[in-house]
Amino acid sequence: MIVKKENEYMLSKRFNKVLETELEADEDTLEALKQLSTFYSENTLPSRRDLRSKIEKRSLDININLLSSFSKVKDTFMSIYNDIVEMNRCVDEITCKLQNSKQRSKALLQQTSMLYSGRNKNTVYQKIVSPFLNKVQLSPDESLILYGNQRSSSLTHATFSVLDKIQQIHNYSRILMRCGLQTVALDTMEHMVLHQEEALENIYRWTQNHCRYVDNLELTELIANAMSKLQDRPPLFRYIIDEYCVGRRSILVSAFIDALTKGGPSGKPAPIEMKAHDIQIYVTDMFVWLYKAISVEQQNLLQMLKFCDNIDSDFILDTLIKVCDGICQPLKIRIEKVLGVPTQAVILYSVLNLLRYYKKCICKILPRGSLENTLVNLQNMGEQVFFTTLQQEINNMFIKIESPVRDLVPTPAIHNLLALLRDMLSTANMNDGREIDMKKITQYIIEPLLRCVNEQASHLPALDMSIYTVNCIYDIFTCLSMFEFMDEFLERLQAQADAQIDNLTAEQASFLVANLNIGPIYTILQDSQREPLSTIPGMEPSNLQKFFLKLEQFITSPELTLLPQFDLLLSSKYKRVVEKRSREVVLAIYTQLFEAVNNPQNQYENPSSLCHKTPDELKESILL
Amino acid sequence: MSAGPYNYSYIFKYIIIGDMGVGKSCLLHQFTEKKFMADCPHTIGVEFGTRIIEVSGQKIKLQIWDTAGQERFRAVTRSYYRGAAGALMVYDITRRSTYNHLSSWLTDTRNLTNPSTVIFLIGNKCDLDAQRDVTYEEASKFAEENGLMFVEASAKTGDNVEEAFLETAKKIYQSIQDGRLDLNAAESGVQHKPSQPGRNNLSNDQQGNKDNCAC
Repeated sequence: MIVKKENEYMLSKRFNKVLETELEADEDTLEALKQLSTFYSENTLPSRRDLRSKIEKRSLDININLLSSFSKVKDTFMSIYNDIVEMNRCVDEITCKLQNSKQRSKALLQQTSMLYSGRNKNTVYQKIVSPFLNKVQLSPDESLILYGNQRSSSLTHATFSVLDKIQQIHNYSRILMRCGLQTVALDTMEHMVLHQEEALENIYRWTQNHCRYVDNLELTELIANAMSKLQDRPPLFRYIIDEYCVGRRSILVSAFIDALTKGGPSGKPAPIEMKAHDIQIYVTDMFVWLYKAISVEQQNLLQMLKFCDNIDSDFILDTLIKVCDGICQPLKIRIEKVLGVPTQAVILYSVLNLLRYYKKCICKILPRGSLENTLVNLQNMGEQVFFTTLQQEINNMFIKIESPVRDLVPTPAIHNLLALLRDMLSTANMNDGREIDMKKITQYIIEPLLRCVNEQASHLPALDMSIYTVNCIYDIFTCLSMFEFMDEFLERLQAQADAQIDNLTAEQASFLVANLNIGPIYTILQDSQREPLSTIPGMEPSNLQKFFLKLEQFITSPELTLLPQFDLLLSSKYKRVVEKRSREVVLAIYTQLFEAVNNPQNQYENPSSLCHKTPDELKESILL
Repeated sequence: MSAGPYNYSYIFKYIIIGDMGVGKSCLLHQFTEKKFMADCPHTIGVEFGTRIIEVSGQKIKLQIWDTAGQERFRAVTRSYYRGAAGALMVYDITRRSTYNHLSSWLTDTRNLTNPSTVIFLIGNKCDLDAQRDVTYEEASKFAEENGLMFVEASAKTGDNVEEAFLETAKKIYQSIQDGRLDLNAAESGVQHKPSQPGRNNLSNDQQGNKDNCAC
């Protein structure tokens, strides 16, 4: 019964459900019913019976249709699926690849950053090292300067700055060495030494070729610098100096020969030898040229060595001597020729003085060596030739000695010789060391001169002899007294003049005494006076009166009682001396007489009327 | 008139006389230069030499006239006698003739010089004793008779040359000390001190000239 109850419930439920169904509200049922209306057209039994199958069939159809449709979909879906699978595989592949490359780029990045930091480090290093290298190495430019073009081997001031730099680097290396960086220092040093050697070698070659042109202004500084560098290499330095000497010597000699024979450029100044006929000018020109040239050579040498600090003056002198060596021979030949030509002594003397002067000048620059030697020899030769010529000239003058003419003035020969002496002494007077020269020349001339005067005088009467001698000596004395150092000769002349003046005084005094007739009176006065004078014959007042009369005449016109020859005395001074002294004799005798007359012992009456004048009065009238 | 230092107190004038070739110039040369002049040329007229000597502590300058022996210069040489304080009369001991002429030389000297002039006889060339022609004794006797000083000398070796000149100077100096020689007289051959420059040394000598007149 339960089951039936159940069935009955089920069925009631269904029924309820169907009865509760509200068709209008159920869209699905409506849809289904609408669909049913399309194929269930007629409500017939078959139709009712078939409905089911029909519906089932329809459902089947729909299912089949659906199925086929689904299989298409399924096919499409499958293909999509395949594609997606494929795609997936590809993506996987890509992913894998990406993974790989990602892996790899990471390494790269790492490397890059490493390199980058390395680069930074290196830049810093470079910043530090490059100034260092600049300091301790030569730049390519500098190397180029140093080594240059091997063929032209030119030298510039830059070369020297590079060399200086090398030197400096050397010094740095030393500092490095001290800082403990031996390897670098030694390396650098070694390098620098090599550079230096090479550079010096270049400089040496260049200098060797150019040193002789030191007077070229453009080269002077370079050569001077080169020499200062080379002085650290004594052998090279010496070679250069040798080369220099040879070069300059030949330049100097050829310049000298040119100056002598060709003259300056386009003949101005004229060649020195054009004036060879006037030996004074010739010799002067030669020496002026030479002196100038030697000074220039000295300058050149000093210029060349001005930066060398270890050079002593002896070395410079020796070099200069070698440079001037060559000039000796041409000079010697010419001067000897000049001296060999017969010339007047006066001219020879001036040439000799030129020789001496320039010898002195040149020897100030070159105090020894062959040129000095040559000059000394030439000077000696000049002196010898001069004195020989002088002697010869004097001898020629005295070949024939003319006798003095009546006026007793020195003869022309004496005059000429004195003129020669005066000329010589005037020239000599201007020289250094003139004393020896002047004395020697005077000695040479004065001896024969005085001998000549003596010779001439010996042919004359005594009085004329004295006057002629005094006249000659007066002239000689006047001539010599214009010059220095003549004392010795003047003394002799004075002594000789004095002797003759004494003679003349004696002559004149005798003449006066004879003229005034006081000889006898004087003799009587000298006698020892035993008896009164007035009683002695010749001393009586009348006789004395005559003497006083004559004395009066003498006082009024003393010139009448002068020996006529005295007018021929050239020196008025000597004349006065003789006159005065002869009058003094008269005065002395008069004084004696005056005393005698006034002496009562002599028994003269009225002595004051006899002797009008006192001796002092007489002295006043004849001596003052 | 001579300048220079007057480092002497007197000037004595000497004259050397004698025959030609007796060696007067050589004696002078030997005395002034202390050298023998081997081939001495004949003196023309007079030659001159000086030397400063010392007598009794006094510096004395000798002015010596060396005369020519040749007769033709007699006139010239005579003019130098006058001022001489000393006369050296020379003969050659190897040539008698030069000795024989002494008396004429002596006369000349006596006539031309003043009485106080010291005359010294020198027999020169005594180095040539082998050729001697005049004995020492003979000459010595001659000197004594005439009141001359005498010595034999050699200009060649220099023997006694110095002595002859010095002895003469001593004798002259002695005369001055004794007052026998008047210094003011020019012709005494002695000057006291060199003359001042510019002043003629031949002034103010009445005494001397008086003597001249007498002869």
